[in-house]
Amino acid sequence: MTLFHFGNCFALAYFPYFITYKCSGLSEYNAFWRCVQAGATYLFVQLCKMLFLATFFPTWEGGAGVYDFVGEFMKSTVDLADLLGLHLVMSRNAGKGEYKIMVAAMGWATAELVMSRFLPLWVGARGIEFDWKYIQMSFDSNISLVHYIAMAAVVWMFTRYDLPKSFRLPVTVLLALCVYKAFLIELFVHVFVLGSWTVLLVKAVLTGAISLCSLFLFVTLVHSN
Amino acid sequence: MFEEASEVFDNMFKSSFPLTFIVFIPAVLILVSPLPAEAAHEFTVYRMQQYDLQGQAYGTRNSILNTEARTVEAEVLSRRCVIMRLADFSYDKYQKALRQSAGAVVIILPKNMSAMPQDIVQQFMELEPEMLATETIVPVYFAEEDNELLSIYTQTLTSSSSQGSLSAAEVLLHTATANGFQMVTSGAQSKAISDWAITSLEGRLTGVGGEDLPTIVVVAHYDTFGVAPWLSYGADSNGSGVSMLLELARLFSKLYTYKRTHAAYNLLFFVSGGGKFNYQGTKRWLEDNLDHTDSSLLQDNVAFVLCLDTLGNGDSLYLHVSKPPKEGTPQYSLLKELETVVSSQYPEVKFSMVHKKINLAEDMLAWEHERFGIRRLPAFTLSHLPSHRSAQRSSIMDVRPHVDVSKLSRNTKVVAEALARVIYNLTEKLLQSVFGLPHQQVQEEHLSAVVDWLTAQPRAAQLVDKDSNVVSTLEYHLSHYLKDVKRHYVKADKRDPEFVFYDQLKQTMNAYRVKPAIFDLLLALCIAAYLGMMYLAIQNFGLLYSFVRRITLPKAKVH
Repeated sequence: MTLFHFGNCFALAYFPYFITYKCSGLSEYNAFWRCVQAGATYLFVQLCKMLFLATFFPTWEGGAGVYDFVGEFMKSTVDLADLLGLHLVMSRNAGKGEYKIMVAAMGWATAELVMSRFLPLWVGARGIEFDWKYIQMSFDSNISLVHYIAMAAVVWMFTRYDLPKSFRLPVTVLLALCVYKAFLIELFVHVFVLGSWTVLLVKAVLTGAISLCSLFLFVTLVHSN
Repeated sequence: MFEEASEVFDNMFKSSFPLTFIVFIPAVLILVSPLPAEAAHEFTVYRMQQYDLQGQAYGTRNSILNTEARTVEAEVLSRRCVIMRLADFSYDKYQKALRQSAGAVVIILPKNMSAMPQDIVQQFMELEPEMLATETIVPVYFAEEDNELLSIYTQTLTSSSSQGSLSAAEVLLHTATANGFQMVTSGAQSKAISDWAITSLEGRLTGVGGEDLPTIVVVAHYDTFGVAPWLSYGADSNGSGVSMLLELARLFSKLYTYKRTHAAYNLLFFVSGGGKFNYQGTKRWLEDNLDHTDSSLLQDNVAFVLCLDTLGNGDSLYLHVSKPPKEGTPQYSLLKELETVVSSQYPEVKFSMVHKKINLAEDMLAWEHERFGIRRLPAFTLSHLPSHRSAQRSSIMDVRPHVDVSKLSRNTKVVAEALARVIYNLTEKLLQSVFGLPHQQVQEEHLSAVVDWLTAQPRAAQLVDKDSNVVSTLEYHLSHYLKDVKRHYVKADKRDPEFVFYDQLKQTMNAYRVKPAIFDLLLALCIAAYLGMMYLAIQNFGLLYSFVRRITLPKAKVH
């Protein structure tokens, strides 16, 4: 709409990242450069994913409005590479668990924010046309920050050698949920024909649930030994 | 964070020049990138007439539009784009919008014009000349209704009519939920078209027997006029006249191919352009023929000139003359023959002669025959309209359903019959039809096909250039029946132009959904509150953490 509107959307999208960075104590660890490295890994992983998708998944040529169930599922399976990437980032950083998780998640989520949200915001929110979708996009970026922190925590737990046997199953389930979350939500949208605000709410609730569960597991694991 | 960041950037720039390049060039490109044109709705609009005639300016003088939409019900209209539907359109509302210095007027026309109630159509027809009578500073556009546009109208109507009577809280809520619309046209400012050529067409059938044969001239203008050029389909005025002329050309070309029926009259057919602009095509044609050449059919022995104008409807026929014909002249005999044919074969038709002197003081000539009258050629116009002031001659409402092909064909029969009786000098000899053989009869399908084709595209004088499909098809038709088919061009004089046309008559308009500035402020406040809450939540994340720990602690002990 105007530059002011862009400013609004920008603030809504970016300030939570800034606050998180400041309040989580990452700034005291001098972790900026490490976050940038995590972002670079994000870029590399996305590139690999894109190459893979372009090579092995031809364009879906079904009729419009038909949901390609299997194809979408397979595509979200490629998101497993994200887990590998997060693991790669965390394995290269030495330090406490929380620190590793936060650095990986912050770098990852910020790279995603810059790469996939900044340009649409700049181009769209500044135009004459008003649309709620830019506000929604900014909210969505907040949700994805929480999502990546939870995901990094789950990956960290999964790769620990001292993970108790009883934890193995819930952690694996959470991992699967993290990877297939986008797919599940898309399926929801398709089956229930949700409006854009409802989708956002569903996303927020689902992400909140996943991250609460992983917090429970994390706290239990960290303080059990 | 920022110190670290600047350190990192410093290192980056010092270490490698290409990296700077990679970072900065895209950044600059992004910053200077133009805004995209992604609109809520995009539709075609047709601008009101803009032309100068004899130094006088008519119609709207502007074409650029970039303002917010309102309906007439809103309190403040200044610098707003006022949108109206044809059903609610009235001259008072139009004047009110202009008086309050509205930024533009957009009139939404129904998709199916012929389904409108007759009184609204009639009322609008009468308003059209009034809207064009004076020049309007702001742009006036016409758009065709569709669902999107209707919804834009309804939303604007609700927001326009509910202003002023609400409390502050309601207004705030309203700004968040309701949509405003910014109307933007994509085109440039309208400017005069230089060197515009109006095309007219001429063709003839030469008679036999003797040197100095009398000539009968049949004339019809093909261009149309309405409040918006792109919407002027002109079915009755003057699609009907042109189709009748083509049919007469066909009939007499048939008769002139046989030796027995080849008459001692030259027939000259003229399809004139610029008829709605004071008969510019006819004027130039007369000048070319009478002043600039030595030998022309028009120079000697013209029996009469018959102009055909608006003949596709109604049960009456009027012969408009500027001087009542004297007995013994060919004009008088045509008048008599018309009376005879009508009274003997078509008693349901009312035929009469209307006498109106040429008023040279007026800006516009009334009928086409007056152009000939000024040059002392005996001429008259045949029409079903009793007066030249009739709004039907210059309306965008004059569309295909306005022509009744059966009546047009009946009128054509009357004219063909009367002309034939004059040409073959059959006065009072026989009362049955001259046209006996089937291929010599007036063909209704032929007439209706020509009218259909003519009304398939707007033929306003500003739109029909010399390469246009209308002109070339007309030329093809004429050359099929007639000999020596020629084009005549009229271009306005460069220094003192008699007519000037303007471009940008058809444009794409975008309606962007917008919110008022107060909405942005409100949104900023909400976002600030949300961010504050986020800050508190992240600051106090420790509380949640210890809470979770307290819950999980007993469990951990059990393990």
